[in-house]
Amino acid sequence: MSRILQITLVVLALFFFLSAGGQEEKVTLEMGSWRTDDTEKMNEVIALFEAEYPEISVSFEPTNPPDYNASLRLRLESGTGPDIFYARSYATGVQLYEDGFMLALNDWDVLDQTYADGAQGPWTSGDGSVFAMPFLAVSHGVYYNQDIFEELNLSIPTTWDEFISVAQTIKDAGYIPVANALADQWDITEVVFMNIAPNFIGGQEGREAYDNSERTFNDEYVVSLFEAIDSLQPFLPNGYEAIGYNDSKALFQLGDAAMMFDGSWTIKEHEDAIDAFKWGIFAPPSPTDEQYITFHPDNGIAINPATDHPQEAKLFLEWLAGDAGSKAVADQLPGFFPMKSNPPVLNNAYSNEFLGLNKGRGLDVRWTWPSMMEGNPSGYQLIQEASVAVLTDRATPTEAANSFQDGLALWYAPAQ
Amino acid sequence: MKLLQRQSSWFFYFLPALIIYIVFTIFPIANSLRMSFFQGSGFNLDTFVGFENYRRLFFDPLISENFWNAFGNTWVFFLVHMLVQNTLGILFANLLLAQTGKWGSFYRTMIFLPSTLAILVTGFLWKLLLNPQWGVITMIAAAIHPELAQPWLGNSESALITISLISSWQWVGIPTMIFLASLQSIPNDLFEAAAIDGVTWWQVFWYIKLPLVRPIIGVVAILTFTGNFNAFDIVFAMAGINGGPVYSTDILGTYFYRIGIAGEHPVGIPNVGLGATVASLVFLFLFLGVMLIRVFTRERN
Repeated sequence: MSRILQITLVVLALFFFLSAGGQEEKVTLEMGSWRTDDTEKMNEVIALFEAEYPEISVSFEPTNPPDYNASLRLRLESGTGPDIFYARSYATGVQLYEDGFMLALNDWDVLDQTYADGAQGPWTSGDGSVFAMPFLAVSHGVYYNQDIFEELNLSIPTTWDEFISVAQTIKDAGYIPVANALADQWDITEVVFMNIAPNFIGGQEGREAYDNSERTFNDEYVVSLFEAIDSLQPFLPNGYEAIGYNDSKALFQLGDAAMMFDGSWTIKEHEDAIDAFKWGIFAPPSPTDEQYITFHPDNGIAINPATDHPQEAKLFLEWLAGDAGSKAVADQLPGFFPMKSNPPVLNNAYSNEFLGLNKGRGLDVRWTWPSMMEGNPSGYQLIQEASVAVLTDRATPTEAANSFQDGLALWYAPAQ
Repeated sequence: MKLLQRQSSWFFYFLPALIIYIVFTIFPIANSLRMSFFQGSGFNLDTFVGFENYRRLFFDPLISENFWNAFGNTWVFFLVHMLVQNTLGILFANLLLAQTGKWGSFYRTMIFLPSTLAILVTGFLWKLLLNPQWGVITMIAAAIHPELAQPWLGNSESALITISLISSWQWVGIPTMIFLASLQSIPNDLFEAAAIDGVTWWQVFWYIKLPLVRPIIGVVAILTFTGNFNAFDIVFAMAGINGGPVYSTDILGTYFYRIGIAGEHPVGIPNVGLGATVASLVFLFLFLGVMLIRVFTRERN
């Protein structure tokens, strides 16, 4: 009996000794993220890094997206935050930086060597500090069913009027023209309204005219934007009031719906689900002959100032920004575009199709992100409520535009 | 000494429960009351603001509109449960009382079965049944009359009633079982005497059964009240965190979650102080409501 005890003790002691020794050599970085869907793919990217740097291991631990901001803040405040983490762009990110939960990266050479000032902008605070490495951007457009377009002899619409007449032809043929719907309200806000908005307000230049008080938020451009949203109503699926984002994607994947406004992040899902027909992406139609693409900086990566391993964290970020890392990320995550000045060649055809749309078109971010998110009610919330009101006939486009202006005027100086 | 031991020994049996109750119930409630008087950045509440959170919740139009809306919706949610779930509960209990043998237990199982489902399952199941594109109910309704095939969950006029009815469907088994148990405890001689007097079924129900189960109605009302004013999951599963469409299904539970825990999409930073205020108010409503219901049912006794 006592011999067994002795052996057990020796084994246990050896075990603790060895594992403690192992820990001293190997550094583990915890990486926070809201991309639960990407866990498998990111682990493959990380495996490549670990093969190159065996002394560092990175564990990718994403949180359910709607809970991410709140749970990350809670963890950072209680001192148990991850070593590195995905950073939201603009106001949401700035707030965390200003509260001291992100390391300023201005002195880090890699940043300026790899990323243009424009790419750093979304993660730059008011005092000019860059608080995260720009990581990935997403694009927006219209997915369409090429078989239905061929069957009905349709060509890709570039103007809004063409788009409506294409939608009418599709409807007459018995298909659902546009799969988008209202049950998940962010669908209409983020992937329809913000998708077409730059076309109607004139891209970045137009957006800045609003922020410089040169335009009012209920001018003719905004009214025409809400009119465009309103004009979609006859072409949405039956019962669109109660159809959610996932239902919409299913309607497109089943071939019932011919078109869907959506973001590049859906590429992988469509690739996996669609076998029966050919599909592609076109640029959001515009009221003028000038077209814009909403190319939105989605996530940066920040370093926790409280981490025990800032050097290792920087090493990992440098690798992600480098040739091998950014290529691995782009290949593993189609639809998410590395924001480097010299981006890697993408191997996914649909990703390239999205990127191809950028050529010859102006780019801008989602309208409300840079400066309309901080107040109450946020520009996002106002656009959402107004778009839903227009599509459920509770407001005219003019009333919708007025409510946008009036709501912003409560707190946003350029609207006052 | 021995006497003292005997007299105070009850305390040691009482202690574990007391500690658990203090740590997991009293302390969180007290702390949440305390937090409702503070504001700060994120979860770090460091500024004492007095009754400012309460003032904003009640009177600041930007915030109070949604709060009062959620408050009103919660009452609708509760009244539908009282009217549909509990009335059906009494009715089913009466019918089950008459049903003995294997059909009785079959019906009992069928009525109770939905209560054993997870709320998220119920929510998604009914969402699928009611889906305007491929829902079975929509198809049947369309075959009967095209006007009946409505997006019931998508119209702001019908969504809250629809969700309340689905929740009533799920939980109707609970009041049924409680009423059945209390009906079964009514002495048989009362029914025999009534039968000799030649009274109708309705008279038996109205003059014998109902007065005798009245205290139980109070208990069921309290259970429904506390359950509904704390409800969150069925709305979250069927209408999402915003209580859509246009906040028409937003109840205190979802409103609290959005304000105090998750924050508004896409910024997602909660106002914890305001959230604690909502939680404290819900606690207060429940406390007062339960007291009121108790007073009413006790007087009748």
